[in-house]
Order: sequence, then C-alpha cells, then structure tokens
Amino acid sequence: MRNRLRVMPRGVTGPEVRFGVPLGALAFALLLGAIILAFAGNDPIEAYRTMFDSSLNGWKAQSRTLALATPLILTGLAAAVAFQMRVYNIGGEGQLYLGAIGASWVGLALPASTPTPLMLSAMLIVGALAGACWALLAAIPKAYFNADEIITTLMLNFIALSLMNWLIFGSRSFWRDPRRPVPGGKRLPESAIMPSISGRLHIGIIIAIVAAIFLWWLLRKTSWGFQIRTIGDSPRAARYAGMSVRRKTMAVLALSGALAAIAGVSEVSGVTKGLEPIALTSNIGFTGIIVAVVARSNPLGVVPVSIFLAAIATSGSRLQSIGIDVEVVFLLQGLIFLTVTAGEFFVTNTVSLAHPDTSATGSPPTSEIKAAI
Amino acid sequence: MAGEAPHLKVRNLTKSFYGVPAIDSVDFDLRGGEIHGLLGENGAGKSTLCSVLSGLYRPDSGTVSLDGEAVQFRSPQDASRHGVGMVYQHFRLVDSFTVAQNIVLGMHKKQRPRSMRQVESMVADLAEEFGLHVDPTASIWQLSVGEQQRVEILKQLFRGARILILDEPTAVLAAQETDRLFEAISTMVAKGHSVVLVSHKMAETMAYTDRITVLRRGVNAGSVTTASTTPAEVARMMFGDSNAAERTNYDAAQQVGEPMLSLSGVSVQGDHGLLAVDDATFTVRRGQIVGVAGVAGNGQRELQEVIAGLRSPVSGTIEIAGTNCTSAGPKQTAQAGLAYVPEDRLGVGLAPGLPLEHNIVLKSYDRSPHSRRGVLSDSAIEKTMNELVEKFDVRGNRSGMRVSLMSGGNLQKAILARELNEDHQVLLAAAPTRGLDMAAAEAVRSHIINERATRGVLVFSEDLDEIVKVSDVVLVMFKGRIVGSFASDELDLDEIGLLMTGSGAEIASTDTPTATSTRAGS
Repeated sequence: MRNRLRVMPRGVTGPEVRFGVPLGALAFALLLGAIILAFAGNDPIEAYRTMFDSSLNGWKAQSRTLALATPLILTGLAAAVAFQMRVYNIGGEGQLYLGAIGASWVGLALPASTPTPLMLSAMLIVGALAGACWALLAAIPKAYFNADEIITTLMLNFIALSLMNWLIFGSRSFWRDPRRPVPGGKRLPESAIMPSISGRLHIGIIIAIVAAIFLWWLLRKTSWGFQIRTIGDSPRAARYAGMSVRRKTMAVLALSGALAAIAGVSEVSGVTKGLEPIALTSNIGFTGIIVAVVARSNPLGVVPVSIFLAAIATSGSRLQSIGIDVEVVFLLQGLIFLTVTAGEFFVTNTVSLAHPDTSATGSPPTSEIKAAI
Repeated sequence: MAGEAPHLKVRNLTKSFYGVPAIDSVDFDLRGGEIHGLLGENGAGKSTLCSVLSGLYRPDSGTVSLDGEAVQFRSPQDASRHGVGMVYQHFRLVDSFTVAQNIVLGMHKKQRPRSMRQVESMVADLAEEFGLHVDPTASIWQLSVGEQQRVEILKQLFRGARILILDEPTAVLAAQETDRLFEAISTMVAKGHSVVLVSHKMAETMAYTDRITVLRRGVNAGSVTTASTTPAEVARMMFGDSNAAERTNYDAAQQVGEPMLSLSGVSVQGDHGLLAVDDATFTVRRGQIVGVAGVAGNGQRELQEVIAGLRSPVSGTIEIAGTNCTSAGPKQTAQAGLAYVPEDRLGVGLAPGLPLEHNIVLKSYDRSPHSRRGVLSDSAIEKTMNELVEKFDVRGNRSGMRVSLMSGGNLQKAILARELNEDHQVLLAAAPTRGLDMAAAEAVRSHIINERATRGVLVFSEDLDEIVKVSDVVLVMFKGRIVGSFASDELDLDEIGLLMTGSGAEIASTDTPTATSTRAGS
C-alpha cells in the first residue's frame, strides 16, 4: 500500500513545541551518540557523566564553560542579528580579528595609568568600530550592487587573518613585542585587562549577556527592529511600506560586525592579554554562525545555545583523558547540531500519514512527500 | 519532415486545481497545416490547455487524439516523441551554453548525433530551411530575445515537432522581429506543420490565423474560421455580452469634486528598457471611481508602481490630493493620502511570514500611538488590530500566526483595513478581487464603492465585468498607452474589448491585416 507523508504548517507554535522539539532532538542526538560511543569501545554512561562533571557540575566547571561561552554568545549574536534580516554575515571571524587589533591598539597606545573603566570603554568602542567598518566593506557593495555578502564576508576573513598575522609575524609593527624570541604581541597593561570574576571567567560574560538582552529588545520592541523583521520576511513588502532596505542592510551588517568585534575585544583583553594570532584563531566567528542557526536567530536563545556548545567543548579534553578520541567529541557536536537544526522543521510543521483516498480533501498541504510505506 | 499533416483532436478535456476547474469540458480541434489562434483573458484556461497538450499536466478527464489515435502524454518528452512541442513565453534556455548545446540538451544519447559539430550543421540546415536564422555556435547570452525565441522553436523542430504551440510569442518581440516570426510560421505550415498561436492581440490573430478558438472562464466560447469573423465578434466571445455586465446601483447624483489624483504625460521605463507606460494623462476626482481595463502586461503594474512611488517616471507629473508626488517615495505618497492595495497580496501588500498585528501596522508602526521615540507599544498595536479586525470583519487569525495561513479574502480585508485609514484621500486598488470567493469579492467591492462617497478611487482589474460594474469612468490600457476613455453612461463593451486587444475602430471596419500597426487609438 502506498501512503503519503502529509506535511502541514503549524499555525501557531506554542512553547511546548518551541522547547520540546529541541530537547527531543537533543535526547535523540545523545542516544545516537551513545551508540557511536559504544561502537568506539567506550562506555556511553561514563562518557556522558564525565562530560557533565567537567562542564556543568560545580562552580569551577561552570565558570570554565561560561568563559568559553563568552565570545560565542557575541559572535552568535552577530550572526543572529544579520540572519534576522536574511543577510548572511559569514565574516564574524574576520570582524573578530579586527576587534582584537583595534582594542589592543587602544590598550597599548593609551597610557598604562588610564583607569580601567575608561580604558576598557575605549577599547570596546574602537574595537567595535573597527569590526563595523570591516563589515561595511561587504555591506556597501551588497547595498549598492547586490554583491553576494556570503562571498564577500567570507573572503574578508582571509584578508583579516593575513593582516593580523602580518602585524605579528611579518613586520615590526606597533603590536609586536620585539623582545620575545618567538614572535608575539606586546602584553596589555593591567588597566586594559577585563577583571576576572572567577578563574578564567571575566566580565566579558556580563557584556555578552547584556548585549543579548539589548539586542532582543532592539529587534522585538523598537520600530528599528520592526523594519529589520519586515525586510527579513519580505523585502518587497518593506519597500512597499516605505522602508529603506539599502540603509538597513548597511546598518545591520555594521551592527553584526561590531558584535563580532566585541568578541575579539573580550578575547584579547580577557583571555590572550595581547594580540596573539594563534590563540585568537579558534574559529569562534564560525562557531557563532552555528550558534545563531541553532538558536533560530533569537538573541535570547543564543545565550543557552552558546553555553551548551561551550560545555561540550570544555568537556572535550576530559573526554580525551578517559580515552575518547577528539574526533568522537567533534562527531557528537556535529550530531547535536544536525538533529537540533533538522528539528526546526518539526517546530514549524506537523507531519502525519495520510491515506491516498483522504488526501484529496481538506486544505492543500504545502508539500507532499511520496513514500512507499 | 514530410508526412501527413497532423490532426489533433481534444474532447471534453477537464483539469482542476484544488477542486477549481481551470478548463472544463473543452473541445478543441487542430487541423493539419493550419495556424490556430487561441484567445482568452488571463485565467481563461489557455495555459492549462497548452500544458495538457504539451504533456506537462495530465487531464482529470477527457481525451486527446492525434491522427485518430488516442494518446496520453506522460511528460513533455513523451509529447515531443509524438511530435508536439511547446515554446513558452519565458524561455527555457541555459545562458552559458551554445545554441546547439541548448537544442540537444535533455535529448537521449541515441536520439542525437554524437558530435556537436554535426549538431551544429544540422541546426544550421534547419535554420536555413525555416528562415530561423541564428548562429548555432553562439552562446545564448549573446543573442537578442528574438534570436533566443528562434532557438526555442528550432529546439522543437529538431526533436521532430509537427505541432508547435507558441505561447504569446510576440509579447517579447519588436515589430520587425514579429514579421520575421510570422514568415517562419508560414514556412512551417507550408511544410505541413500545424501551429497553435496563443495570443492576446486581436490584430495579429486576425491577420495570421486560419481559425480561432476562444476560451472564456475555462470553457470553449467558440471556434470560428478567421476569414468569416470580425474582431468585434471575437472580442464579444472573449469578454462576454454587453448586456451581461450590470452596473451596481448606487447614487447616480453623486457629486464629483476636486482632483484627488492627477497624472499628466507620465511615462515609465519598464524592466526591459522599453517604455512600459507611455504618456499617461488622466484625473481621478473626489466622488469618482475610475477603472482601468486591460489585458495584464500592458503597463498596468508599472503605472500602479509609479503612482505609489515605487518607481520613478521618466517624464510627466503626478499629483496626489494636491501634493506633487512625481518623484516621491512610497512613504511620501502614503502621507499625501494614497491608500494602495497592490496586486500581490502576499509578498508586497503583506509580509507573509509575520503575524497580523505586525502587518496591520506595517505603515503606521513608527507613529504614535504604535510607537513613541522608536519604542513599539505592543498594547497599542494590539488595540488597533482588534479594532480593525472587528470593523473589517477579518477572520481566521490566531495570535502570533503568520498571515500566509489566512485565506485570500481575509488577507485582502486586512490590507483594506490598514490602507483605508482616516487620513487617506484616494484609493489605488489593483486586481482587488482576484482569486477571492464570491462573498469575499462582494465585501471588497462594497468597500471600494463606499470609498466613492467621500474620496476618489482608481481601480485596475483584468475582469472587465468588474470594471464596468463599479466604475464611473473606464480607461483602457494597451501597450502602455491609455487608448480609450468612456464615461459610465456611454460604455460600449464591444469597443472596450477591441481596444483591450489592440484593435481600434479602423481594424473593425476593414479586413486588411495590419499586424504591426496595432497602436490603436494613439
């Protein structure tokens, strides 16, 4: 008998669906992961307990996870705000470097005696501006000539990386510490370093969470966000309503670049304490894209998703110490990402079986997938 | 290429979409070696019939037979094997491939010569034979629109098509190219091919076809021999009887007031560089409904967009309620008092993925009480929505639901609810009842007629009956020009039908085929 899978859009998505589906997907991913772990010769229960203990059990583990989540929240927000308008900023990585370059310049150029609040504010502003300008290099061609921002922002990453490498490895620049035998950045003065909360966790996490709340408010509660959401849904309707799509494209990409750059400021000031290209190139910008996709571009969703991904990452080294390959850790990460994003389909649609003879009645489904069942 | 001229016979053909018949028990005969014109308004079922004949759709019921033999085309390839080929209005060519590559694209290895050189020489021979000159080695992107069309025709001939269906082939062509196309068509017919010519244009149909079939609302309104009919008769078949359309009864003593919308010499460039609107001059006054009749694609969309401020005119001036809006944007025209119900409800009139409360304040979100200093007031927006939903009887909304899940009638009411605010002076409505059920269409129509009491209305519709029903003045648009203007008490539906298809009184009175001089009334 040949049946059809019937796909119907859900009219309204309630909270039980919005939270239930990702949690179900997560459970599914962990189950699949358990099978893979078992195949790899590991004890899944021990592995999952180690993961939990090393990343979320106790303040020490939690602060380590939050420290790793800090830049992810910011690059996640950077991607999310652009995705809200269906502008695909893949350049978070490069914008982050520019933020790090700009902030470390301020930290090294201003007198070391500058009070910390003033110093950090200046670093944040200059870093954010540098990232925003870097994003505008892609935004202006996009707005005026409809140049594909996916390509341009991606390409700008490589230029930013080369620029940062050149500043430290290829030249005697202002940033480079000439006294170090292995090329590296000058160490920032104490006043340019983000105060620690606990261990590696620094006040960058507060900046990140405040940014998430602010962004949520900006997108949901202001007329500016109203326009962004309209353009994201239908540029033609937005133009019809008299909104300037061009100006908003530039504004959103600049904001996105600024947020990614703040992640760079937070890293350079709170973690590496100097422009250190090797430590800064850990794909935080790219991971932010994953965060935004899983969080469905919701700024408030970005925070838990970042913490979750950071938890998986922090538990990685401990998992290796009990004999689990790093590849398996990556595999688990990939599985979770895949199932949660695939679960998105079930958030917006319901799927049921329909017999061929009943499929002719009722309102037309968005799509029918033929399946021999 | 030789052989008997084919004879295609269609009986009782029905094809429905979601329960609505697009064609209903249609009979159609294509005789061997004839050029058969297929006419009808938009939505009359021409495309559906052609899609069935070319194997794209399968009919719900009815039969198709070719030379007396019943056939069922399972796919366009299958139809092509039977010698039926279709040339679409929008070409299906790969820009970066050569002419020869495009011609054999999709053909099975066994059906085509192995070397491209051989294909090229065969294409060249075919082009020579039918007078469809085009360089087989040129890439598609290098060719003009007319040449690309020749490639499409050659593609079908190369596959052995004996029956060619041409969907509005002249819509994209300039005058000389049109002449060359018809020369090629006559060559084809002389060599035993049959041609179905889908068209909106009366003049070329009268000039070049042997017989004409008119579809009206999915049914065959008649097949006639071209030589023994007149444009007036064909127009009547297309648009219905003059007596059928009734004017809605309303206050005949309505006072006409000051101008609400005035256009003077407005010309607009179309997307393809040609003039889409050519020297449009008219006025809509307070207390007046002006209807614009015309077959789709004759510049109506560009005219709407230029009035709404979504396009800039190349010349002329536009005034909305006394404000000069010639080069104003959509925001300024709305402020000047224009309410605009666009043709595309979802995607232009409404943001489909966003909820009703968002869409209902799409143009007033940035004003008090909906926002103050850039901060939205959710409660004020909800209040506005509830008031308007009540007032305009918008149904089927649930909180937070995206509007695309609402029915067409409710979507249109939602747009009207937003546009017909207290500040507007003139309503511009495009295809306001298209696709709506009877009750919803009537509700929308009554909103439009109510507008007339205190404001001005400009309404565009492809449905001539509707235009006649509601309008005080009917303008006819053809090829970007206003080719006719009628007051409601001197309406002549036959005349309007002729003007809509590009033939004025001079063609009606003579039998001389003048395909290229279709600028009637200019």
